[in-house]
This record gives sequence, C-alpha cells and structure tokens, in this order.
Amino acid sequence: MPPETEIQQTLCRMCDDRCGIDVHLEDGRIVDILGNKAHLWNRGRLCVKARAAVDMVYHADRILTPLKRTDEGWQQIPLEQALDEIAARLAAIREERGARSIGVWKGEAIGFGQQENIARRFAHAVGSPNYLSNDSMCYAARYFGFKLVAGAWPVPDLENAGCIVLWGANPPYAHPNMTQYITAARRKGATLVVVDPRLSAIARRADIHAAVRPGTDGALAWGLIHQLVTAGACDADFVEHHTVGFAKVVDYAKAFTAEAVQAETGVPAAAVRAIARAMQSAAPRVAAYVGNGLEHHENGVNNIRAIAMLDGLLGALDRAGGTFFKAELPLRDLTLYEDVPLKHLGPLGAGRFPVLYDLRRECHTMTAIEAILQDDPYPLRALIVTGANPASTNPNSTRVLEALKSLDLLVVRDLFMSETAAVADYVLPAASFLERTELHAHAKHQIVSVTRKVVSWPGVQGEYEFWHDLAARLGIGDYFPWEDETALNRWLLEPTGLTLEELEAHPEGVEYSPSLPGRWKDTGFDTPSGKVEFASQYLKDLGYDELPVYQSPAYRREPDAAYPFVLITGARKLLYLHSRFRNIPRFLTAIPGPEVEMHPDDSEALGVADGDTVRVTSRIGSLELPVKVMAPNEILPGSLQITHGWRDANVNLITHDDRFDPISGFPLMKSVEVRVERM
Amino acid sequence: MQVTIVGNSAAALSALEGFRERDQTASVTLVSAEPVPAYSRVLLPYYLRRRLSYEGLFIRQMSDYARLRVATEFGARVERVDPATCELELADGRRLGFDRLLLATGSSPARPPIPGLDGPGIHTLWTLDDATRLDSLFREGARVMVLGSGFVALQAAWAARQRGLQVIVVELLDQILPRVLDAAAARILHEQLLAYGVDVRTGTRTDGVETDHDGKVRVSTDGTGAFAVDAVIVATGARPNDGLLPECLEPGKPGIPVADTMETSVDGVFAAGDVTRGPTSAGGPREIHALWPTAVEQGRVAGANLAEAGVAYAGSLSMNVTEMFGLTVASLGRFVEDDGDDVFESRDLAGIRYLKLVSRAGVPVGAISLGDPEGAALLGRLRPFVRQRRLLPDLPTFLEGRDLGQRLVGRGAIKEKTPCA
Amino acid sequence: MRIVAVDPDSCVACRNCEYACAFRQSGDFDRRASHIRVNFYAEERACVPLTCMHCDDAWCLEVCPAAAISRDPETGAVQIDAARCAGCKMCLLACPFGNVHFDRTQGVSGKCDLCGGDPMCVRSCISGALRYIEADEAVDLRREVLDASLRRLLHLDKGEK
Ligand SMILES: Cc1cc2nc3c(=O)[nH]c(=O)nc-3n(C[C@H](O)[C@H](O)[C@H](O)COP(=O)(O)OP(=O)(O)OC[C@H]3O[C@@H](n4cnc5c(N)ncnc54)[C@H](O)[C@@H]3O)c2cc1C
Ligand code: SF4
Repeated sequence: MPPETEIQQTLCRMCDDRCGIDVHLEDGRIVDILGNKAHLWNRGRLCVKARAAVDMVYHADRILTPLKRTDEGWQQIPLEQALDEIAARLAAIREERGARSIGVWKGEAIGFGQQENIARRFAHAVGSPNYLSNDSMCYAARYFGFKLVAGAWPVPDLENAGCIVLWGANPPYAHPNMTQYITAARRKGATLVVVDPRLSAIARRADIHAAVRPGTDGALAWGLIHQLVTAGACDADFVEHHTVGFAKVVDYAKAFTAEAVQAETGVPAAAVRAIARAMQSAAPRVAAYVGNGLEHHENGVNNIRAIAMLDGLLGALDRAGGTFFKAELPLRDLTLYEDVPLKHLGPLGAGRFPVLYDLRRECHTMTAIEAILQDDPYPLRALIVTGANPASTNPNSTRVLEALKSLDLLVVRDLFMSETAAVADYVLPAASFLERTELHAHAKHQIVSVTRKVVSWPGVQGEYEFWHDLAARLGIGDYFPWEDETALNRWLLEPTGLTLEELEAHPEGVEYSPSLPGRWKDTGFDTPSGKVEFASQYLKDLGYDELPVYQSPAYRREPDAAYPFVLITGARKLLYLHSRFRNIPRFLTAIPGPEVEMHPDDSEALGVADGDTVRVTSRIGSLELPVKVMAPNEILPGSLQITHGWRDANVNLITHDDRFDPISGFPLMKSVEVRVERM
Repeated sequence: MQVTIVGNSAAALSALEGFRERDQTASVTLVSAEPVPAYSRVLLPYYLRRRLSYEGLFIRQMSDYARLRVATEFGARVERVDPATCELELADGRRLGFDRLLLATGSSPARPPIPGLDGPGIHTLWTLDDATRLDSLFREGARVMVLGSGFVALQAAWAARQRGLQVIVVELLDQILPRVLDAAAARILHEQLLAYGVDVRTGTRTDGVETDHDGKVRVSTDGTGAFAVDAVIVATGARPNDGLLPECLEPGKPGIPVADTMETSVDGVFAAGDVTRGPTSAGGPREIHALWPTAVEQGRVAGANLAEAGVAYAGSLSMNVTEMFGLTVASLGRFVEDDGDDVFESRDLAGIRYLKLVSRAGVPVGAISLGDPEGAALLGRLRPFVRQRRLLPDLPTFLEGRDLGQRLVGRGAIKEKTPCA
Repeated sequence: MRIVAVDPDSCVACRNCEYACAFRQSGDFDRRASHIRVNFYAEERACVPLTCMHCDDAWCLEVCPAAAISRDPETGAVQIDAARCAGCKMCLLACPFGNVHFDRTQGVSGKCDLCGGDPMCVRSCISGALRYIEADEAVDLRREVLDASLRRLLHLDKGEK
C-alpha cells in the first residue's frame, strides 16, 4: 500500500526567522520540509536548516524520557515521578531559602514564540522575580538603543528603501530570508552600506563596506551625524517639533570629523563622507538595521542609540522606505508583573542594570551566576532551565558550569543532552517546535500565525503542560487554569478579535492590523517625553549620560601588549544556531568544527598556516583551535573571530562575565583582548 | 529529394538528426555494412571491462530510425559510388540512387607492416564483432600482447588487465600515448601501468608474428626478444575508409578532403567523421581527427548542409578523455609547446596529478590533465578559449595557480541561454 | 522553457543552493556532490553561481557516445541517465561552463536535472539570486540587474578615491 501522504503548513523555528513551511508527512512521519510559497515572509524560499528539522525531530540522541542523576549515572524515571520529585525539592527550597532562590531560565533551543511567557508567569506564581533568558545577551541591548531614542525598535522597510545601512548584522546567516528583501531593494537601485569589521556574507554585496574596528560603530554613527548636520541634511521640521536634545547633539558631534572617525574606526574619511552622502540622497528612505554584532561591547547601547538617532535626524522614522513602527499583536498578557509585582524582592541584576529590568523585565544572567556562587546579593539555589544552554552560551563557561553544578536543584528541559543538561539533576524531554502549538507574530508583516503540532511523542510534554503540571504540584495551579495549549491560545487571542479557527485556516498568517506608517503622529513616540529623545532624561535620572556619549573600547583606550589582538566572537555560520545542530551529521560535513578567523598578515607574523592549531588566551581563559586564514579584505588585521557554540573549543571559555555594558548589562564578548600563540 | 547516408555511427547519426531538424519531407536512406542498429565504438572497451552490458552498447533502437522516418539498409556494404549516375552499388549487387550523398564510413584499424599479422590469434578492437570475440578470449590468466599504445590500445590493455589477464604493451616510439600526452604525462601514466602490473615496452619494434599449431602466438621484437602469448591485439592506429570515391582523394594523402561545409570535391557528395581530412580550429592544413566529438560536429554540419542550410564548420579541435588505470586522462589541442609559447605546469594540485597548459600571447592553445575527473571539466572550460582563439583574461592568475578550479569561468558566462558548442 | 536564472549581483555565496543540491544528490552536504557551484572571489567580492543552462544546442547531449543524455520533454532539462552512462567523461570535456560533474562513488557523470521542475537550489536561495523563470523573463531580469548596477555606478561615490 502506498504511504498516506499529507502536507501540514506551519512555521520553521530552526532560527528566529519564522519562515512558512510545508511539512510533508508519510503515514504520520515527517519526510520533508519545503518552503510555503504562500507565506509573505519567505515566499517559498527556505535555508537548508529547515529541512534538518526532520533529522532533529527523529534524531537518535533525542531525550524522550525523564532522566534523573544518581550515583550510578542517569536513571530513566517516569514523568509523574520526575515532576513529583522536582516539585517536592522546589517546595523545600522555597521553604528554606525563600521563593526568590528559585530561578527560571528560558533559551532558544526549542524555538519559542509567545510561550516564553508561560515561564515568566510560573516564576511569579511561585513567588520569584527571577526570570532569566538569552534575551539578556541578545536582542535587549538593541531594543534599548532604539526604545530609549524612539520609543520602540522599528522594523526597516527594506524593499522600499533607497539606502540600507546594516550595522553588525549578517542577514544571510542570521535572518536568511531578510536577504531577499535587501537584494530586491538593490535591484531597484538602493545603495547597501554594511558596517562590519568582517566581510560578512551580506558585505559581499555591499556598495560600501565600512570595516570598522570592533566596538567603534558609535564613532562612525556620530561621524555620520556630524556630516549630516553640517550638510544640512536633517529633516529640520521633524527635528524641531518631534525631538529633544538636538542642540546638544550638534555640539557633541562636532568632535567627530571624518578624519577623527577614520582615526578611531579605521574607516577612511572619504568613505565616511560617502556613506553620509548616500544616506542624504536617499533620505528619508534610509532603512537601518542593527545586528547582534553591536551588543556585546562595553559601549553597545550608546553606539546603538547614536545609530537610532540617525533615523530621527533624517526623518526616516515611520516613513515608507525608512523604518516602521509595528503595531503589537494585542494578545492577553500572560505575565504576572501587574498582578503579582515582585520588584521589591530584588530581581537579580535589577539594581545594577535597572534598564534591563525596567524595560524588558529581564534579570541579569551573569549576576545570577554570581548569586549562585557567592550568595550575592542573595542565594539562588534552584534553576529550571527550558531550552537554554548557558553552559555553552554564557560568558566564562568554566564559571557557569561551576555554578550550575553547585545548585541544590537543576532541572533542564531540552531535546538533547546539552552541556547544561549534562550537569542537571533532572533532564526532562522537551517538545520541539513541530510538537507544540503556539502563537507567533511576524513583526515585519504584522501577521499572526498559530503553529501546528505536527507530530508528538508519548510522554513528551509541551511547554504549557509542563509548567501547568509542575504548578499544580506546588499549589499554584490556579494560575494555570487552561486545559491545554489550545485553550490557552484561545484565551490569549480573545482581545485580538481573531479566532483560533481563523489562524488554523491560514497557516500563511493573518494580518492582525494593517501596516500603517505615521501612527506616532496621533500618539506621540513611546518615550517619557513623547518625542524622539536624542538626550534622555530617564537615563540621566538613573545616573547615566543623557547623550549617547561615545566611549572608545578598552582595547583601544588602554592597549595591553600582553593581549595584542581583539577577538570578535559569535559570528553566525549558515548552518548553526548558537549551540544547536552540532549533532546533524551533514552539517558537520559542511562545517566540521570551530576555527579562529585571522588576517593573512597576522598568520604570517605568527608563522601559522590554514589549519594549524593556536592557543587563544584572554584574561578569562584560553582555548586551542585551528586557524582559518581569511582573504585580506575579509577581516581586519589584528582582529580575530571565533564562532560560539562548539563543545570542543567553546569560545565562551575566554569571554568576559566581569565586564558589561553599563546600561544593558550585556557582557563583553565581541571586543575581547587576547593573545595568540602558535602550538 | 533522396538523401542517402552511408554509415551508422557518430557522423551518420548526427547528420541524420541535423538534417531532419531542417527537412522533414525528403526521403532518407541510411546504409550500413553492419547488420545492427547503431552501437558506440567508444564504449567497446567499457563492455570488455564489464562496465557496460552488451545492450548498453547500443545507442539507437529501431524506433529511433522510425521516428526520424529513415529507411535503413543494415548489413549492406557499399562497394562503389558512381557520381555520374548518382548511384551506389551494394555488395549484393543492388543499386541505390541518391540526389545527395553523405559518406560517413569511418575508419578501420591500421595494420602495420609486420609479417604474420593476418594469422589467427591476431585481433583488433574496432567493431562489435571484435569486442564479442575478445570478450570470449578474456579469460583470467591468459596472456595478451597489445601492439601500440594509443587510446584504443591502452583501453584494451586496461580492460584485459581488469579481467585478470597478463598484459604486455609494445610501443615503437619512446613514449606511450604519443598523440594524446606529452612526454611528462606519458611517464606518469607509464608508471601507473607498471603499478597495475602491465608489462610496458616502449621503443620496441615488433619484427614478426607467428602462430603455433597449439594456438600460441609468438611475437619477436628487437632487443627484448620473443614472447609467447594467447592473443595479440593490434591497435597501432586507424586509416579512413576512403575507398568508395577515389576521385576526390588527394594523391598520397589518406582521408577524403572536405570543405568547411563538409562537401567533397564531387558535387552533391558530403563526407563527415573519421573518413575525412577536414579543417581544424587552429587553421592550417586539413587534418584527420579521428575522434568521436569531431565526427559528431562534422555530422551536424553535413546534415545541415544536406538540407542546404549553408552552415560552415569552425574546424575540429582534438580532445580526448578517458579513464584508465585509475586516472582520468584528458588532453586538448596542441599541448606540446613551440618556441614562444608560455607553459604552465603543475603537479598534484587538488587531485590533479599533472596539469599542463600551453598558451601563446595569452591565448590558450592546448592542455593536458591527468588525475582527478575535475581536470576534464577544467579542460572543458578552457575549450571555448582554445577553439575560438580567445584571450583568457584571467590567464595570469590562472598561471599563478591560484583558485584553480574556478578562475576559468569568465564572469561573463552568466547568460540565460547559450549555444554552448 | 523555464531555467534557473542567476543574478550574481544578488548572490551572497551563502551556499544554501549547493547544500540543497548536494543533499538531493547524495543525502549529505559535501559540496562536491552539488550540480550548482558558487564561485566566490573574496578580494573582488564577486559571487558567481554556476549551474546548467540547459543550452538549446547542448553539446554534452550531442557528444555523449552512450546516448545517456537526453532532454526531458516536460521540463526541457538536459539530463543524464545514470543507468546508461559509461563514465567516459566526454560530457565533462564538452561543457564549456564546467557544469557536468563526475560522481566518483558511482563512476557516472551527473548534472542538474531541474529536480523534475522544482529546483531545490532555487527553493533554498534566500537571496533571490536564483530564480526559476521562463528563459525570456531571464533577459528582463538581466536588464533590471544591469540597470540597477548602472544607476549605482553613476550615482554612487564609494569614497574610495
Ligand atoms: C575501441 C575504440 C575506442 C574509442 N574511444 C574513443 C574515445 O574515447 N574518444 C574518442 O573521441 N574517440 C574514440 N574512438 C574513435 C571513435 O569511435 C571514432 O572517431 C568514431 O566512431 C568515428 O565515427 P564515424 O561515424 O566517423 O565512423 P565509425 O564509427 O567508424 O562508423 C562508420 C560506420 O560506417 C559503416 N561503414 C563503413 N564502411 C561502409 C561501407 N562500405 N558500406 C556501408 N557502411 C559502411 C560502419 O558500419 C559504421 O556504421 C574510439 C574508437 C574505438 C574503435
Ligand atoms: S560520462 Fe556518461 S553522460 Fe557523460 S558523455 Fe560519458 S557516457 Fe555520456
């Protein structure tokens, strides 16, 4: 009998792009994944990570039963027993050390959409303010940069732009299908400017590639502000009526002449002027996008703020071809920050990095590690980790592991035995994105979709089920009254006027409100002043500079001959997402392992060739890995790059958990002073 | 109109198809001495190597001829052409008329002037019959001697070796594959033959052959003495089957000379393939390029011009490729340098054991590649430059050996639709 | 007939197409198994995807001494029948673009067959550099690309002088 075939349409969550996919099934088993041609975002195109979800779902190494650590090693135990034991130990810890000694840590490994809020809800329900996540190392700093200036992080209107400026972003590897929008704009004549110390994949197509020294983007942004101001290129009307602090900007920018910018960033003065001209001639159709490359520095947020200010100066905010403010999907709020406020309990890091908690309700994961190890500011004794792998992805992995091992209770939900799961007390099977039904909003097109539970495994709980069952055992079951994910989804959708049935009928997404630029004209900007804030009273009140004052990175300010190189980490590779997918065999065929990318002048000076092993040492630690000699224009001399997420040669063994951006609290991972020795 | 084609191989078939693309109405007859639908000579060694089945040798079925609406006369040898009456005379005495005629009679193995070469135990590898006969002789442990070391000779040797025979290759000249490789490449291949257990004797003249009553063949050579073998395969070259129309031959020169239209000196009579001496892409005097691709190209032109398309042939470029003794052996054009040529040579680059490129004033004229199959693809990319005598813009970079596999592709090659030949 | 049209001015050499093709051919991501090849020249920042153009006068098809290469009547794809291919490599030498490749494990030549009319390279091309379009549309695409680069050439001063 021929197999029964079926196609189910849902969203890919192998990365954060959320492309529409057609999941092909035979007799209920997934056999292939292709792009959904009707989906607005990817239009049928799909990177090769998506198909690997088939391999991921059916991977022989998947964790499908709960595991308990015993003296004899891992023991398989029934789910009910696992939940009972975990609940009992949590209850005891709550009793002894207080609820705030329990933390919940969410990651990217199973591709959350709205369901991360279930974890936030649980933390507060149990009485702890300590919700931790990968967002405190990715995304939030960019959010702050734009939020503080413009009241929100707008989305670039790439396809209508006349000039696209990408700062530390490499869409082909990080947001694959964004690339087709950029190239489409270029085909219509748009200029593409890429600011990146490396010749990234997208920089190959740049009309101007500004190879800035790591962490000096702010100087370039200020330089561009100076050029635009002196050229009279600012949208005077907008600046006058809708911004605050312009005079201070003009004044502060004066120091950033093209020559000064060249000296600081390494970008030739002529190129600085050329970028400014490109922006000026396209204004207001200038679409900027900032990537994670700018976040992991000690000056990240202010660099991003300076970039965000460019949008305001050019009048590109919320304009066709510029950047759009997107309407939020008005879902019901699942979090309990209003109903059960717990700020008084001192969310970890909220004192040191108030903006992080204020604007994103994120605790600071590096502070959490200190709390575990030092009981400072108070003890953190139990962690429930869902789809996160901090042992690989947080800075200073040695210390992270030490902390995780010293916990009274570590519970990890994951698909695979990650570095973090390996040191847990309990490892619980998690459901991948193809095994859960969850709401996802697509920022660019203002569409919402519900993903489908395409397959399932006996005994593998979905995200909601897990927190629900655990809550019930801890006497906080009232907070989780919904029968299942579907009931929850229905409840969440109520205020939107959309029904679950509608969403299910439209796997390509349903527009929840039309994309209309200019919404701010009625409401003002979502900042304290209602205007675009070049100078921030809010920050000033918290003791920061009101302007995004440029701070030269430490490796330039105080060069140390013992650490002559500057190391960038975390550049995405096509096939991997953070620490995921290293167990897909064909991915390893293509990209078999980590390497340190190096300029040919440096490799020559060190006397090393492609493939030779070197030791890279920072003030935190060292690791050994092979060298990849790049073409002379692919990386700056004196700069190195190592991609994170490898089990062997994990670069976070040498990144900083002791130096942070003062506003976001993001750790220093992308301008790390190191030395290199030939082995 | 009656179009008659003599031959049923590369040249004949390409001509037939090329003709039918332009003319669907004329009556066409195809006459072939062999009694079977077309098979491929090139594949005979693959059959002997057991790489292909007997059925796999056939490249056309009767239905293909029917589709092209061509009357076939298989097993009918043409003895004579009478251009005055526009008639062919067949071996069985029948006469066939024609308005236009294509001679695509190919070539036959040359017989060197060695006494005793017509006795039993002496074979060639040229036709289907030859191949089936050899197939039954290829018994493990048997001993064969191959006379000559051209493409056919070495492929026969390779097949015999793969079938477990003991093989001796005797070559009169100082190197093997003299027409396909230069001395350096030949040395590498020579070593490879030895490594595969083939007894190779270059610079060796065969003086005589005798067949015993017990079927053993005794071969005497100068210098290295005598050998007793079970069979001898003579593969010392080919001579065109050009006897049908003596009036168009040039005295003392083999092959029917043809113009770039593939017309012979006789009105209405065309020739294509191994039987011709034709124009070459390098210009200069006409040459015999007895190669499959040349036969296909010439056949195409002849077929078009049988239909009065007025197509001119740009001239043949010799190109050879095969796999033997674990190496892909490929060569193109003029690969032995003259004074004033530039030579790029590399060893062991990306699996290519030996790569040689000869160019003159930036225009590549020939190349050799030995080793990885990608080398053949590389030569393929070079071919348009050699053939059209085009400057290779990246030649200096190419000669530096950087980025070898990729440089050849002109950026301009990004076209949507291209005639690629 | 539809072909895989290539716009190098949109290509970022991400190699999704190579991996997708290699996967279809071999189940693995060894790029050598791919029938589309992206040449990347770092110093010139040039990305050049090359794949079979299914030429009108496909010389590989004509020259194959095994009659193993034919044109798919539905898609127009020039394709190799692995069961007929003897592995002689004449087609490798015939293709002026290097778009025929040799499969060492099977000992046969291989090339793009347009995946039966839904080419995986295009489905996986996230830059839009590859499109599966009618051959005459491809000419328009080329014009569009040329226009854009010309416009940029005229208006953009890259600050290199
Ligand atoms: C073993 C072997 C291996 C080879 N390998 C290669 C290779 O790898 N690469 C390469 O390029 N070339 C190779 N060749 C050469 C290639 O096969 C020839 O160049 C090609 O076949 C020439 O084609 P053709 O149509 O001109 O003539 P042929 O193939 O010789 O065909 C001649 C046709 O004419 C018919 N015919 C001849 N005389 C008469 C007559 N009087 N009446 C009626 N019919 C007649 C024959 O029956 C036959 O059908 C090889 C040849 C051999 C024998
Ligand atoms: S390698 Fe195969 S497909 Fe190519 S020409 Fe030879 S037989 Fe034909």
